[in-house]
Amino acid sequence: MTTLIPCGDFKTNYSADTTIFPTATSRNMVILGIAVLCLAPLVMDRYLLSLLIQIGYLGIAALGLNILVGFTGQISIGHAAFFGFGAFSSAWLVSNFNVPVFFAIPLAGVMTTAVGMVFGLPAARLKGLYLAIATLAAQFILQDFFARASWFSGGVAGTLTEPFSIFGFTFDTDESYFYVVLAYVVVMYILGTNLMRTRDGRALVAVRDHYLSAEMMGINLTKYRTLSFGISAFYAGIGGALYAHYLQFVSVEGFTILFSIQFLGMIIIGGLGSIMGSLMGTAFMVLLPESMQWLTDALAGSAIDRALDLSNSLAFLREMAIGAVIILFLIFEPDGLAHRWHQVKAYWKLYPFSH
Amino acid sequence: MKSVILAATAAIALASPALAQVKVGHLADYSGATSDVGVPFGQGVADALAYINKTGGAGGTQMGVETFDYGYQVPRAISQYKKWSGRDKVVAIQGWGTADTEALITFIAKDEIPYFSGSYAGQLTDPNGSGEKSTKAAPYNFFYGPSYSDSLRAMLQWAAEDWKAKGGSGKPKYVHMGANHPYPNAPKEAGEELAKELGFDVLPAVQFALTPGDYTAQCLTLKDSGANYAYLGNTAGSNISVLRACDTVGATVQFMGNVWGMDENAMKAAGKAADGVVFPVRTGVVWGGEAPGMQTVREISKVSDASGAAYRPVHYISGICSAFYMKEAMEWAAKNGGITGANIKQGMYQKKDWVPAGMEGVCVPSTWTPDDHRGTTTVAIYRANVGGATEASVDELVKAGTIKLEKVTSVDLPRKKEWLGW
Repeated sequence: MTTLIPCGDFKTNYSADTTIFPTATSRNMVILGIAVLCLAPLVMDRYLLSLLIQIGYLGIAALGLNILVGFTGQISIGHAAFFGFGAFSSAWLVSNFNVPVFFAIPLAGVMTTAVGMVFGLPAARLKGLYLAIATLAAQFILQDFFARASWFSGGVAGTLTEPFSIFGFTFDTDESYFYVVLAYVVVMYILGTNLMRTRDGRALVAVRDHYLSAEMMGINLTKYRTLSFGISAFYAGIGGALYAHYLQFVSVEGFTILFSIQFLGMIIIGGLGSIMGSLMGTAFMVLLPESMQWLTDALAGSAIDRALDLSNSLAFLREMAIGAVIILFLIFEPDGLAHRWHQVKAYWKLYPFSH
Repeated sequence: MKSVILAATAAIALASPALAQVKVGHLADYSGATSDVGVPFGQGVADALAYINKTGGAGGTQMGVETFDYGYQVPRAISQYKKWSGRDKVVAIQGWGTADTEALITFIAKDEIPYFSGSYAGQLTDPNGSGEKSTKAAPYNFFYGPSYSDSLRAMLQWAAEDWKAKGGSGKPKYVHMGANHPYPNAPKEAGEELAKELGFDVLPAVQFALTPGDYTAQCLTLKDSGANYAYLGNTAGSNISVLRACDTVGATVQFMGNVWGMDENAMKAAGKAADGVVFPVRTGVVWGGEAPGMQTVREISKVSDASGAAYRPVHYISGICSAFYMKEAMEWAAKNGGITGANIKQGMYQKKDWVPAGMEGVCVPSTWTPDDHRGTTTVAIYRANVGGATEASVDELVKAGTIKLEKVTSVDLPRKKEWLGW
């Protein structure tokens, strides 16, 4: 997707041509957006903040999956297990080694990276459906590990953990924890964007686009495929650790195959191979059930409800609508939200001429 | 389109009369893994709250109740909790599952919102975290009925007696069955420990999922191991599959159900296979039984069934009790500083061996104290009795006597300090 550059905005050297943001305006808008988000806890209630926090930690994990699936062209249907591993690792470090939460979160990311690398090894040899099944195995092996390894995860009873604190200040409310998640989102997304501008990041894309050509160019496929799994797991681990210290309780049953599929849904809806799309897709998946809930609440007791006698089926209606919206999305918007966003921008740039 | 929806929502919001003075959240599972028993229990809670509102409210205050079906998914329960605690400022919550209740323990304690769960996990009974085996303090958690662990302890005591009465020789063999999940596992250790003390031979646990399926393999394992007593830790739906499969392979085991593991609907679905299963019942009577409070229960039932003809399973009546204890605690709070979460919690401690007004003979006398949230340690054990084909409706089957719930015994457990929170 080429970005349209306004007239007169031309580059005279290479470094200016490879900035993160194509134009100064886009950069300033993002900075402004983050500044506005910083005000959110002052004006939003806990419920809306909790949704934003969810978008934050899930968005970090979704970006990891997008690096693996969207940028490297591998497939993984075990992402929730890595997310869970990050959550349990962080809780384990805090409770068994008295590691401050501040350090436990990145350390949990590192631990999850190691696990991701191990499960990424088959990726060096496998492709497509075979790899999908290998990652499915990762999902079940890890889930079973969580349920059995009481020393690590508290077994099926789950484990309690501490809230995030720094210099004696505890971030245990939605208002304060929001800033922790926001900081992590900004850092992790900048890291992700920058990764794709490096030599290694371009190697990942080369592996996706044509692995044979990539190998001919001297790219070590084994190394990059495994690395991609590692990076993806690192993001999942950080997301999971943030989730653990938000709820302060981690239970094995949150990390099912269904959750893994939801992660895939997030990046497909957001746009495969798009950094910003990962966050958009996550926001979509988090807000969809909630907005469906608002809609069903609005319908409850209304004339439509009375006419069709929906009262008992409203809950099911919500579930069906969520499924239907996702399917419609895949039919009419296969390139994801990020692509649509670019098209909207292009339309306004070119207005009133269509192209 | 968006503006139309917004306008419609706003119109509805404006049109609804603002009668409610206190808000109450009601978390139910109508569509998830435990909806087989979540529906009757949730319906009981919802009907009871609507009935209370209709008959003057709690201490003259109307309750604004929002029922939310969370499909047994913990994250959904948490976002809804955030909405209730942050936006709606609820004073109490009627909750449901084990995993979500445990996930919320810390939050509700901090926000001071009493939480009446449908989970009876032993971990929720220790308000101060003082129990030897308890893992955490749960000061704002309440539930009506014996805990899972206490129910299992009572059934094991009955089983030990039963073994002697049947003239069994040698050590009886006991096995825990259920999904590897917080809820079926909640009483596992407590049960296995007491089983050893009572002289049972404890076999390795057998796992089966929370969803109905083919559990022939599990039943063959059970048959080969020669188990005499098996605890079914899941809810009714998957237990039915196990009972039928075990009936087919001819595993003759005395099954002991969890409190959610059996009800009249499950007896109809499992047919002859459910015959003889024992399980705890939380109320003094079952539907069709007579007690002074049943008059009120029948009135409450008419809230969602105007004809008054529907048969209500055991969970429905338990849901009513859960709502009525909360209502009386609210009444005390209204007279003593206003209906706030902290006052409702205090309201729960005011009476000893207490039955809510209008529920005489239905709800079992219960006592909560600031150091012990085991409302009752008396466990009534019933046996499911299925005497023939079960094609007809539950109501007809009960009337014809084809399915019967017969009381076997009532076990009074000692209030041991070391069993608190475990």
